[in-house]
Amino acid sequence: MCVRKLLVTSMNAVIDDQPEQGWMASFWQEHRGWVITFALFVVSLLVWKIHGGETIFPKNWSDAFPFAQQIDQLDEWLRPYIQPTTRAIAAGVVWLYEAMSEFLIYTQWQVVFVILILPALAYGGLRLGLLAILAASTWLMLDYWDEAMETLSLMSISILISVVLGFLMGIASSQSDRVEAIMKPVLDTMQTLPAFVYLIPAFYLFGIGPPGAILATVIYALPPVVRLTNLGIRQVPAGIDEAATSFGATRAQSLIKVKIPLAMPSIKLGVNQTVMMALALVVLATFIGSPGLGDIVYKGLVRLNVGKALEGGLAIVLMAVMLDRITYAMGHIEQTSGSQHDHVFRLFPQSLEGIKPILYIEYGIDWIWRQVAAGGNLIALIVTSAVCKLIAIMDSNIAGRIREAMLARSFLIASLVLIAILMMLEGFDLYAKFPREWEYSFRTPVNQFMDELVTNKLFYAITTTIKEALWYGLINPLNIFLKGLPWWYTMLAFTACAFMVSGRTLAIVTVVGLMFIAAADLWSYGMITLTTVIVSVLICFVIGVPLGILAAYNKTVDTLLRPVLDTMQTLPVFVYLVPVVMLFGAGQVPAVIATVIYALPPLVRCTTLGIRELPEQINEVSNSFGASTMQTLSKIKVPMAIPAIMVGINQGIMMALAMEVVTPLIGGRGLGLQVFDGMNRASIGISLEAGIGIVMLAIMLDRMSQAWTKTQREALGMT
Amino acid sequence: MSFKIKTALACAVLALNLGSISSAQAGKGLTAPDPDWTGGLVTCLVAQHIMENEFGYKIKRITMPSGPGAFEGVRSGDLDFACESWPSYSPTKDKYISKFGGDGTVDYLGETGIVGVSGYFMPRYVLEGDASRGIPASAPNLKSYKDMNQYKHMFRSLESGDRGNLIACPVAAWLCESQERLDMLGVDFYAQALGSETAHWAEIQAKYKRGEPFIAYAWAPHWIHAALDLVEVELPAYNEDKWPATNWAQDVTFFYGNPSVAKDHPDVAKLLDNMDLTNDMQASMIYDIDVKKLDSEDVVDSWMEANQSTWRKWLP
Repeated sequence: MCVRKLLVTSMNAVIDDQPEQGWMASFWQEHRGWVITFALFVVSLLVWKIHGGETIFPKNWSDAFPFAQQIDQLDEWLRPYIQPTTRAIAAGVVWLYEAMSEFLIYTQWQVVFVILILPALAYGGLRLGLLAILAASTWLMLDYWDEAMETLSLMSISILISVVLGFLMGIASSQSDRVEAIMKPVLDTMQTLPAFVYLIPAFYLFGIGPPGAILATVIYALPPVVRLTNLGIRQVPAGIDEAATSFGATRAQSLIKVKIPLAMPSIKLGVNQTVMMALALVVLATFIGSPGLGDIVYKGLVRLNVGKALEGGLAIVLMAVMLDRITYAMGHIEQTSGSQHDHVFRLFPQSLEGIKPILYIEYGIDWIWRQVAAGGNLIALIVTSAVCKLIAIMDSNIAGRIREAMLARSFLIASLVLIAILMMLEGFDLYAKFPREWEYSFRTPVNQFMDELVTNKLFYAITTTIKEALWYGLINPLNIFLKGLPWWYTMLAFTACAFMVSGRTLAIVTVVGLMFIAAADLWSYGMITLTTVIVSVLICFVIGVPLGILAAYNKTVDTLLRPVLDTMQTLPVFVYLVPVVMLFGAGQVPAVIATVIYALPPLVRCTTLGIRELPEQINEVSNSFGASTMQTLSKIKVPMAIPAIMVGINQGIMMALAMEVVTPLIGGRGLGLQVFDGMNRASIGISLEAGIGIVMLAIMLDRMSQAWTKTQREALGMT
Repeated sequence: MSFKIKTALACAVLALNLGSISSAQAGKGLTAPDPDWTGGLVTCLVAQHIMENEFGYKIKRITMPSGPGAFEGVRSGDLDFACESWPSYSPTKDKYISKFGGDGTVDYLGETGIVGVSGYFMPRYVLEGDASRGIPASAPNLKSYKDMNQYKHMFRSLESGDRGNLIACPVAAWLCESQERLDMLGVDFYAQALGSETAHWAEIQAKYKRGEPFIAYAWAPHWIHAALDLVEVELPAYNEDKWPATNWAQDVTFFYGNPSVAKDHPDVAKLLDNMDLTNDMQASMIYDIDVKKLDSEDVVDSWMEANQSTWRKWLP
């Protein structure tokens, strides 16, 4: 109903262009935001012009705030006291890690291969099973099997710890508003504080290698589980809780038996997100000496071997996609049931159905799968019968129940039998090593292609043009502008914006955050970071929104775009740092380009989603008013999709800030460089100071864009 | 139900797992970080292969960036020893190694034999031109830092503006003080730090391939001198009192380790003390690894096969 009303009013606005009030008043009403922004910009320019030169925060003020030195002293003093505890924890983690990785590496690959494929088959059916086979064979063929197993162990343990801790923390914050209020900023900090900040203390406290890496991964990957567990439990309708209590359930009983099961879908979504976030840290973990696929990427990078880094990156992407789909399928188990399916398996899109060979392939896979399933069922039946015969001697009643329970888990039983047989065969030395002839490597052609590109005259002309346009057109002017504005003015302007879009709390947060950056003597670094983020998000917007709209309208574009975006999101950023340097040189411009690559996908996705999700009626109504497709798009659909686009921008800003600590590797110069420098000098004080600066900027920009999106949604009548 | 399947599978895997863990490898184990530059890696691999093949050690090798992190690791005992530290670049040594005035929590384990040289370099075609690639000599009189201002317009970049651009030491924590050096020497250049070694060599290689003029910081022994034809731009000779307005000192590189190494593994300490790898030996292996793109383990193995007489002298 609401949508229809809204549509009619906006259509009216489109059609009669004659304003009834004075045009100034109506213009002000419609474009208030733009007018204010423009006015602010003009005033800022004036202030900048009058002020002239680079702004300097009073030296004696910042000298009175020796944050970094104090943190360093505190760190030095605290270490001996907490080290025994942390080392004990680390020893436990190392034991777990070594048990798992040694099992995976020293067991014959054939056995591990099967163990990896079975869960994918169980949860996601044949399609996911094939994906898992593809992933595992790729590790084998690239000869990265051991490294993949190390990464898999590292990830599994990190994820396990994150899920257990996160689940408990989520329950705690769902039970008390106060805990939730404390938890929120803590989680925000965990997600935005650059991992480099705690890598050095992790060295010392938890030791080099896996335990430090696992700690860093847990810190980063924990928040989604906490958030979504909390959310899931809180979203259980009050009525259900009341009903449980009225039947005499205690608070704990109601929580365990009623609320948590109802919150399960949300919790599973949290687990899924945690998996993805953990995998994002694989390469970073190498910085504290953790083994695995990240090591391949890192070594490839250091030696300028783009091909090798790409191979490692591909292996990580496959692991990420596999774990993502498996955990996702676990949340949606009802739709896919392991071995039973009654339609023919479809591997390829429906549009290819007419092609004969494809049909044969599909039938072939389907036939094999059916045989395997039948065989599995048979094994399960035999085992079940045998077990039940035994039990029936004692108690036929129990035997009947066990039989039923076991038959319902035929897939599991067959899997266990299979694994047991395979493990037993290991003793007979029957397994061969993975044949070397089956290995393949694509690093040489990739490297040759890169060489070709670097020396290609035309390509170089194009990259130079892009580089110069970005530098002279956007980055340099904004650098000079932001660095030249007096610090008190910038602070005032940001605080005023925060107050207008959100209110007093955010205004206070903004003042405190910016004061911290200034007092820590990081003002000019902070402004460079701001420039990088603004320019990157702007470019993302200019490229991402049209792409997103195109994908919303055109199915081909959408199908083509999807794998590209998937890869962009899961490929470790380190993989494309070297190609970016080779093609664009190093410095602030390539830093922006790398940031755009990283931050683009959410904007495209959110735009597509925002436009697709609009109700069908929009087209009908706007057609009935005689609007063309273009008009419908520009006057109605895009404005209505703005909240969704804003979510994308918000995510883009967060990702751009996360990228700040990676771009110093290719000449980025902002707060991230300070974080990096602190790490290189083994000073947690310097890193932490700059890291907090990044967190402050992130919280500020995030809250502002979220508040603004909320008012937009309300204005559009969406809730 | 889904959850139970998972739990059961996990339990089964874990149970099988516990049964099959082999007992912890008995014997002598040592942990060392792999240096992330090829020269250091070669030095380390040679030492490690001797320890493994001759003394029967099992060496656990950890990849991590060089720098204070490795010192911290050695100090805390997570790492036993580390190879090829360059004195000019490791300020942490002064804090921990008593030879350099530190507190003695890290031991000095002897020279590696490699003597490092650092400085500013440019492609030979800048000086002499390269007829085969059609590049004219663009700065025929550029010999020392004094001539740099004369040609600064040729070396401009986006970020340097009107000044020349020097591809300087990539990481601030190496304490090269590049901009200070230029300013003190009156060279009107901007010292651009690219942030990482990776970016540094990638930029140099790309510029060289395109035949552009550049001046860049580099050190030797390094593969870049084998892959590209570089000549040095002269700086004033090293002088401690005038630093950083001078060239770097020659770096007599060394091994360092946890005090427990000398105590518990005297054979290892003795070997590292005796070891004397020369720049030429290292350079030949670096060439095979980085230019011929051969596997580093294979390269070191075949070098050791061919040079028995050299390294056998180092055995205690």
